[in-house]
Parts: sequence; structure tokens; C-alpha cells
Amino acid sequence: MEESNDTLCVGIDLGTSRSSISASNSERHVIDSYVGWPMDMVARKLVKKSVLVGRDALDNRPMLDLRRPLERGIMKEGSDKDQEAVQEILRHLIGLAGIKHKSKNKLKVRAVVGVPAEAFRVNRQNLRSTLEGIADSVMLVSEPFAVAYGLEALLHALVIDIGAGTADFCVMQGRYPAEEDQKTLPNAGDAIDEQLMKLIRERHPDAQFSVHMLREWKEKWSFVGEPKQRVIVSTPIKGKATEIDITQEMRTACESILPPICETMITLLAKVEPEFQAKVRNNVILAGGTSLIAGLADAVTHALNDLGGGRATVVKDPVFAGSDGSLAIAQDASSSDWEKLSL
Amino acid sequence: MPSIRDTKARLLRGIVEDNLDVAQGVRIRQVARRRARVKISLWIGIIGLAVGYLSVTTQGVSRDAAPITAVAKAPAVVPIASQSVPETEAPLAYPRPIDRNAIPLTVKTVVIDPGHGGDPGAIAESGLAEKDITLDIALRLRRLLQEAPFEVLLTRDTDSRLSLDQRVQFANENKADLFLSIHVNSMEPHTIRALETYYVGPTDDPHALNLASRENKESGYSLSDYKQILEKIYVDVRREESHTAARTLHSQLFRALKQDNPQLDNRGVRTAPFVVLIGTQMPAVLMEIACLSNAEEVELLTSEQYRETIALALAQGIRHYASSLTVAARKGS
Repeated sequence: MEESNDTLCVGIDLGTSRSSISASNSERHVIDSYVGWPMDMVARKLVKKSVLVGRDALDNRPMLDLRRPLERGIMKEGSDKDQEAVQEILRHLIGLAGIKHKSKNKLKVRAVVGVPAEAFRVNRQNLRSTLEGIADSVMLVSEPFAVAYGLEALLHALVIDIGAGTADFCVMQGRYPAEEDQKTLPNAGDAIDEQLMKLIRERHPDAQFSVHMLREWKEKWSFVGEPKQRVIVSTPIKGKATEIDITQEMRTACESILPPICETMITLLAKVEPEFQAKVRNNVILAGGTSLIAGLADAVTHALNDLGGGRATVVKDPVFAGSDGSLAIAQDASSSDWEKLSL
Repeated sequence: MPSIRDTKARLLRGIVEDNLDVAQGVRIRQVARRRARVKISLWIGIIGLAVGYLSVTTQGVSRDAAPITAVAKAPAVVPIASQSVPETEAPLAYPRPIDRNAIPLTVKTVVIDPGHGGDPGAIAESGLAEKDITLDIALRLRRLLQEAPFEVLLTRDTDSRLSLDQRVQFANENKADLFLSIHVNSMEPHTIRALETYYVGPTDDPHALNLASRENKESGYSLSDYKQILEKIYVDVRREESHTAARTLHSQLFRALKQDNPQLDNRGVRTAPFVVLIGTQMPAVLMEIACLSNAEEVELLTSEQYRETIALALAQGIRHYASSLTVAARKGS
């Protein structure tokens, strides 16, 4: 570790739904991955800012050209506005960590940013370009790998980082993971939202709700397995506030991601050398915002029974596990390595 | 057993190497862009030649080149490279098209692949999902083609999830003579209404590459699998037949839709490394028939008549392609 007073190391988990930053000055922040620009002069006057990021953007969304610029964990392509939005998110995160104006600040920013395990090279290159002017040196690492590094789960472990856009898998075998050790699935939080939206609309065609309301319901009451309580939400039906029971819909939507995740987990486990498979099976680590679904670890553990048993656990701090791991990498890398990767 | 410290040191070396690889790609692209502004200098010619040798072109490609890497590096310098490297110096024999006279081809079995299913694919603001549109058109197309007479098989005829690998396997196992994958695009800005048709091949077009990476997401293939299968396509003679089928289907569909959708942008026939096009063993075409990001096209797609027009045009295109093969076979005999 070579960190001097003139450098700030940061780990960033750039997520489809939420992005977090952990910095070497002990700052830790999480924001909603939304960016909005006032639609017109009136809106500009009301919000008193030229651009809003995170919760601020969400709360003022009727007045904004609102963007959620990440899709399946990577920058949406083909839109300059979305690229600009990603830059705003990164700038905002680094600002929260204490660097408000990069050009005026003499601190060198060394950033490790998590990307989906199977992000294409072209996506990584785009992200690297986007960080120009925001950080001085950049490393991109796969999200589950960053989690594993932070937890020091470097040997005989399988990390499944389930975010909004993707579920990323990485088998740790004491070496830098090869392509066959990693996998990315699109079956994650957003897929649950889509399913939940469809199911509720089918059963309550007159219910009026937005995807933002639906995400809030999911964050409060998502679960798999037998329900411990009824999920009753309030939503307008023909303008009148009405309580509806969405317990079954919530369960079905949340459980919809289980088969692909368990299948992929089993496929990856089968590739591990036979003598180590039991160890990896007993060290399945779930991270990411979607891993907070109640009962998820038990359901994954249950799926491991078919392979002879195992154990899945959720990390203590799923929201910051990725950015903390990225920060650990940033701090452990040598100055000479950072120099090679300067922007 | 190595200590945690040793393991971390090894992992950090891996991270740095991996990132240097990505960073170098960015630098090459930036250099190329900067130099282009002050006209092409000798240096860029040399870089162009070097990268061009490793990059994909539709003319010929090194068997050893890793296509995804090359594609990512290529965009800014490929035109220079393609000017600079004579075709005769291509390191591999150029894949020759099938001589239709020597090998008479016919179309008996057509596999239609409605894109997505289970997963919705692109979704319009109104909630209209790509999976539903593609299935509806595929079912219509099956009805129309069965009258033809072709044996028409659908990779899915319900809202079921199929991996790209399973779709490919289905077409190959059923010994299809033509494979058509139907998709609906989503693009920014939302004003775009585009018709695009793809056949297998490398691309240096970032839009096509991004579209392919998006559609390939659920392939079940790892990145190393991609590399292996991509390496195979450059010696694949199917490409020429796929190109002919793509041209026929595209022009038929564009002509048919232009009346109802006068602002439709003809984006033409392109190559891209979609998994369903790479893995299939017969002429194969992927069509992005509309844009769900465009409100007017969404409205058109909600009309049964418009979807029937699409299906009719595709059926017509398939018939034309099949009859062109029959004519060629007759001439050969």
C-alpha cells in the first residue's frame, strides 16, 4: 500500500439503481443512480440547480429530464445525454467524498470502479473515457471480484453480486478470475420490477402506480419462500387511495430470479476442481442490493442441497461491499501501477 | 498454501494487466482521432497497419486474431487499415461464396425465432414488450408460410424463456434451410424509427456492436466461448447466402412498411456478431423490425394490420429468396 497525503483512493460501485463510494478519507456514500436536468427556465428557477443527482433528482422528477443512465450495469449506449449523466453521477460521488472541483483540487484521485463480470471490452473503454477529468487514474474490476477482494474471500468462494441490472458471479480460486470463472445474468432487481409490474397490472388493471412506487414497495417487502406477513400497499384506483394485497405477486416476482441464478451457480460450481467443490459450495456469498430480499440466502442454500449441501450467506453490508472491496484494491495497488493507468 | 498477502499481490498483477489491456485500446483510439484532425500522418499509417492486421474487416481476417478485442480497438483506424492493406495480403484464404450452380440449394425448412420470451426484451413506455411483438409476428409468419409450402418451425410459440444457445441448437437439430430471428429495437433519440437487418460477420460499427452485445447478453456463452465461435465465422461460406437472404428480406420489408410508416429510416443490411447468427449452420438473418422507443412506431405496432403487413412482407421475402435459389439451381442443371 502506497498512499500519500496528496492522493485520495476511492472505490466506486456504479450500479444501475444505486451507486456507492468508499473513500480512503473514510467517507462512504450511496446515491440513487438518477440524473435530471431542469426541463425549462421555470423548472431551473424552482430547483435552483443546473443538474440534480440521486434522490434530489428523483424527488423533483416532474420538472426534470430524468435519466437512469446505466442499463444492466453498464452505460447505455448511443446517447450523449446518458454518458453525460454517468459523468454527473461519478462527479457527484467523488464530490461527496470531498473533491468538489477536480480542476481546483491538487489531490490525485485514484479510482477503482466495479463493472459487471462480463462487461465487454468496449463498455470498459467507454467507462474509462467517461472518467477523464473526474479521476487521475482508473482501474475497472468486476463487481463480484471487488466484493471477494474486500472480504478476503480469495480462495474457494463463489460471490454472487445481485444488483438492479445484473447478477454477477465470480468463483475465487486464489487467482485472478478467468472468463470462465465469471458470469453475468440480466435476471436481477429490474427483472423483478418488470415482473411485479406485470403481475399487479394483471390483477388490478385500474391501479395507478409508477415504477418508483413499485421499487419502494419492493425495497420494503420483497421476499421469497413462505410469507411472514401480508404485503398490503396503498395506491390510487380511479383516483381513490385504495389498499391492495400484493403478497402473491411480490413472492412470484422475487422468486422469478431464483431459477436462472441457481442454475448458473450450479454450472459454475461444476467447473471447480472436484476436490474443492464442497469448500466452494459452503462459501457462497451474496452481495448487492437485491441480495437483501428476505429469504434469498435460504433459498440459495436450499438449491445447494441438490449438489450435496452447502451454505449461502449475505454479506454484512451488501450496499457497500462492492465499493469497500474496490477501495481495498485501490489502496493495495502500488503507485507505479497507478501511474501506468493514469488517464 | 500461499499467504493472503501473496494471493493479493498476484490478484493485483492480474487487475493491472487486464486494465492496461483496456487502457491501451482507449489510447489507440484517441491517437487515431487526434491525428485524423490534422490529416493522416505516417505514424497513424503505421498504427493503422498494425491494428488493421489484427482487426476485423469484411475482406479477410487472421485466424489468430481475437475478434472481440480487435473489434473494440478497430473503430477509428480500420478505414485507414483497409486502405493500406492489400486484399492479397490477407493472412487467410478469403472465404468464397457458395457457387449456387455447383451446390444447388433449396429452402424447405424455415426456423423463425421470435426474439426474447420470458424476459421482455425492449419495453415501450406504454408497456408494450418486444417479446410479445416478435411472437405475434412469428405466429403470423408461420401461418402465411405454411400455405407456401414450407415446413415452418418456431423456436418458441409461447412466452417462454429460451437461451440463445437453445435457439441455435433448435435450428441446427431441425436442419433448417433458413433461420430468421425477429427483434424490435430501442434507440435514442426516441425520434428514430429504423429498420435494420443483420447477417453474420464482424463489425466496426459501434452501434451494431452494442446492439449485438445487448442481444447476446443472455447467450449462456462466456466471453471465451464468444471468442472461439467468432473465430470460426470468418471462414464460413454461409455468410454470402445469409447476405443474399438479408438483402431480399430487408428490401421487401422496407418497401412494404414505407407506405404506412413514411418516416421509417432505412438503415440497410449490416454485419454483426449476434450469437444466433454465428452458431446456426444455415443462412441466417436477424431483423430489427421497428423501434419500441419511438411512440409513433409503438402505435403502429399495436395495430393488427401493421403487424400483418410485416408478416406478409417477410413471407414474401422468404419466398423470393427461396425462388432465387430454385432458379439458380435450374440454371446450374
